[in-house]
Amino acid sequence: MPRPERRILALGGGGFTAGPIDAALDDLVLELAARRDPRICFLPTASGDPDEQIARFYATYRDRPCEPSHLSLFRLPDNPVPLAEFLAGQDVVYVGGGSMRNMLAVWRAHNLDAILAACWRRGIVLAGLSAGAMCWFAAGVTRSTGRPEPITGLRLLPGSLSVHRDTQPERMGAFRRAIAAGVLPPGWALDDGVGLVFAEREVERVVGSRPGRVAVRVEREGEEVVAPEPLVAPEPPVPADIREWRAQASARTAGRAARARGRPAGGAGRAAR
Amino acid sequence: MDRGQEIPAPCRDPWHCAAMQIVAMGGGFSAESSPALDDFVLSLAGEQRPKVCFLPTASGDADHYVVRFYKAFGHRADASHVSLFRRERGCAGISFANHLLAQDVIYVGGGSLLSLLGAWRAHGLDAVLVEAWRRGIVLCGMSAGALCWFSEAVTAFHGPAERVDALGLLPHSACVHYDAEPGRREAYRRYVADGMAAGYGLEDGAALHFIGGELAAVVRSRDDARAFHVTAAGETPIGETALAAA
Repeated sequence: MPRPERRILALGGGGFTAGPIDAALDDLVLELAARRDPRICFLPTASGDPDEQIARFYATYRDRPCEPSHLSLFRLPDNPVPLAEFLAGQDVVYVGGGSMRNMLAVWRAHNLDAILAACWRRGIVLAGLSAGAMCWFAAGVTRSTGRPEPITGLRLLPGSLSVHRDTQPERMGAFRRAIAAGVLPPGWALDDGVGLVFAEREVERVVGSRPGRVAVRVEREGEEVVAPEPLVAPEPPVPADIREWRAQASARTAGRAARARGRPAGGAGRAAR
Repeated sequence: MDRGQEIPAPCRDPWHCAAMQIVAMGGGFSAESSPALDDFVLSLAGEQRPKVCFLPTASGDADHYVVRFYKAFGHRADASHVSLFRRERGCAGISFANHLLAQDVIYVGGGSLLSLLGAWRAHGLDAVLVEAWRRGIVLCGMSAGALCWFSEAVTAFHGPAERVDALGLLPHSACVHYDAEPGRREAYRRYVADGMAAGYGLEDGAALHFIGGELAAVVRSRDDARAFHVTAAGETPIGETALAAA
């Protein structure tokens, strides 16, 4: 059996935590998986496992063709699971945003850095936004202590990544300066709603779900703006009761239109008839 | 780029250690309605309205936990908290080290011991807490916040109970939820029999007061809460003699 191709989706921000605006990216996460109805596990470590983010994850993936779950490293779980075995059984691991410094430190305390690298080597799709995107690269720019500063990642992907390019200019400034100074290797800066799909360690696709948002390749000297391949969210499925109501409404409209066609415009027409 | 810091060795000088106090709690505001253990901690501060800072790291800085802390302490202490997950908001530019070293009491909440130690070390908070202890700031906490002060502890999180190296201010081992989680108690006794440092088993509702590295008292929020001294030879309940010293 050929080894499955290893894939990582790195998002500059947005995704399900931003609401339905990036629904096309939420779908793409599942499409990258090697099988239909994939098992997808959410890791909210970078934000300290907040209930609200976990609820948004389930609200987004509950109605999509997949088996969602999440893993908390802070709350004493009701049903503890062996971390390595549980994650090895997933098709997608989706990492949320927050403090990259805290996330990596907590992962290391639980040996999750090694476990996630093993997941990637087995062909499990790794996806994430913000801190959850930068962590896969050699380095990123974190605001974990307030001001933006370089931070080392897990090094599954070469180069560095910076996120929220459109909404956090101070992070972008720190990223440019660090690359120019040789503190960080060259890399990518992503707007919210823009993602890089890596196959093995190469960029395969640059994708986006919001008009006008871009990815920027940042070298030591110079930058190149890359317009992403636009992803269009499919029509959300219409619930049965709404479908029925729409059918009735359009029947009523059609009826009114037919009656209106039967008579000339204006009040005088009726008399003329 | 991670800022790990050396942890100074625990103080062994009994004269100097007289002011250094730690209360390892199997209860407190987050676990029970009785304020007895929290009252005891405040009584050690020696201030009418002590400055008490909450560290909710082990819970991932859970909002509901922070709110409960302010409800329990806001009316009788100068209460504050330090979050390591929301540093970009509010705390930017403020040195948490200076803030912590200005406190009378530092109160550590429960949650995951491994996550707590990992996040502290990533921010150099472990070294700050050692310094706070040396300066006589009362350190306390419940569950993971109790275990963190010992040299070794047993934690049960996502799988079987395992040994964890903690901050090492107290040269003993420890295990909490001694009555509530029999699996953890058994694992702890086995580890100690196999060469882990001797130490303490703590039932919910009991707290250990250490001065320097020595146990000074057992405090209880309910009459039947027990604490045990656990050695390779087995476990012995700590009796009223120790309690009388409180």
